[in-house]
Amino acid sequence: MTHFNPITLVSHKHYLEHDTGGGEHPEVPERLLAISEQLKKSPLCPVLVEVDAREPERQDVLAFHDESYLYRFEETALSGKTYLGHPDNQICFDSYQIALLSAGGGITGIDLLENNNADLVFCLVRPPGHHAESSLPLGFCFFNNAVIAAKYWQKKYEREKIVIIDWDAHHGNGIQAAFEEDPSVLYISIHEHPTFSFPGTGHAEDNGMGPGTGTTLNVPLRPGSDDTVFLQAMERLVEPALADFRPDRIIVSAGFDGHIKDDMSGLSYSTDLYEVIGRKMAAWASQYCQGKLLSILEGGYHLESLAESVERYLQGMAQTTQG
Amino acid sequence: MYIERHMITPALTVKPDTLLPEVKEILTSHKFRHLPVVDHDNRLIGMISDRDIRSAYPSSVLEEEKRRTILDEVSKTKVEDVMGSKIFSLSPLSTLDDALHLLSRGKVGLLPVVDEDRQVIGVFSVQDLMKAYKNLYGIGEKGSFLIALEDDGQPKPLTRIVRVLEEMQISFSRLSRVKGENNKNIIYLRVQTFNINLIHKAFKEIGMKIIKD
Ligand SMILES: [Zn+2]
Repeated sequence: MTHFNPITLVSHKHYLEHDTGGGEHPEVPERLLAISEQLKKSPLCPVLVEVDAREPERQDVLAFHDESYLYRFEETALSGKTYLGHPDNQICFDSYQIALLSAGGGITGIDLLENNNADLVFCLVRPPGHHAESSLPLGFCFFNNAVIAAKYWQKKYEREKIVIIDWDAHHGNGIQAAFEEDPSVLYISIHEHPTFSFPGTGHAEDNGMGPGTGTTLNVPLRPGSDDTVFLQAMERLVEPALADFRPDRIIVSAGFDGHIKDDMSGLSYSTDLYEVIGRKMAAWASQYCQGKLLSILEGGYHLESLAESVERYLQGMAQTTQG
Repeated sequence: MYIERHMITPALTVKPDTLLPEVKEILTSHKFRHLPVVDHDNRLIGMISDRDIRSAYPSSVLEEEKRRTILDEVSKTKVEDVMGSKIFSLSPLSTLDDALHLLSRGKVGLLPVVDEDRQVIGVFSVQDLMKAYKNLYGIGEKGSFLIALEDDGQPKPLTRIVRVLEEMQISFSRLSRVKGENNKNIIYLRVQTFNINLIHKAFKEIGMKIIKD
């Protein structure tokens, strides 16, 4: 029988109340519901520990976002407008508070990793974050959950060198913008080629700026790329970059929209791939960070594949450290 | 599309009797490679490039005495003696496409823009052209990406595409149709949204297929 290490799931029931207006919007509460349904009937269920996310301190959010943007977002939501900036970014009356709580997921997870003997934390949050810039909502994202988490980890626990590994199908332009001049954070993104994929950023030539030159790694893949292409890129480009950087802590921007059934990208990953990724992430955490691993949910819009892929990712992650 | 909206004004020019060392100084300090030469009524009479200047100056492998003689000559040489007089130019009503055509045909990096009296009113370079097309096609615009569609062979494909995009309020910046393999047309468009569900719905409605690889 397979032995699973415990995994802490950080989430909050308010995440379900971020209303994106129905209709054709892909970023819906059902995403989180599908995942929890799947996990309830999973063999992993006995090792899952659920914890509520807490709200972040204002200063934790301001470590990346402009205060004027916070005001604008809050006012827009409270005024009853249905979107912020572009019509893609649908909001409801409570979305500002919920987006804050979403950013609080990573922070809650970090506290657990540092103080409570937890090793594997997965934040089941929404709205997602990796497209959000300091004062720009983009691609359903409002606050950049991964960026806020990385800055918190550095400041609160003095974990100096952080790597953010982002294998969502889309480039995390917001994470890149936050750290492209910062050599203390290595941002690695594997995504569909920017000419054919939202948001159109993340060319292989972009490898950081000024003192941060060399600590941004973009790996664009051709539309149609499958598990083999992904794993080759991991081995040839990502692993050497990690070995070079030697991170103190790892944050995973875990998006599941590269799945072949997910229409949000042209990538063709199988469900099986996510278990392999889970094993890899946990192995790297053991190698570099005493087994501490923080994952934060980004995209993933085909409900069935999302739920199955998250389960497999967690399974892969929970298996590793034994033996 | 008109050059008058994309050209650089005012244009820096030199007079035919300007001496080469002065032209060299202007080119170097502005990091320019070309300058229009105009008469005293600001009418275009030639172009001077850094290459023209370089070939007027003495080679560094020459012996010192010869070098000095040539340098001495250069310092007294006027632009009109070395400038190119076979010149291409644009008018304010030339289009970006015209400019692309001329820049590649003339193998030059910069074109002067002249009005009806041939007075120089601006300049337009390869860099300016790239910038203009980048904007025109929405390239590098954050929050957009390119979609390729297979033309279904039914009448008025572009009309149908534009109509459904506008009805669903999906903004887009480029729409073009090119001949692909097996004589099938491929339609490219750049959309500004992440709501790909909406796009799929839009194209399904009119029977268009998205090409994924
Ligand atoms: Zn995504």
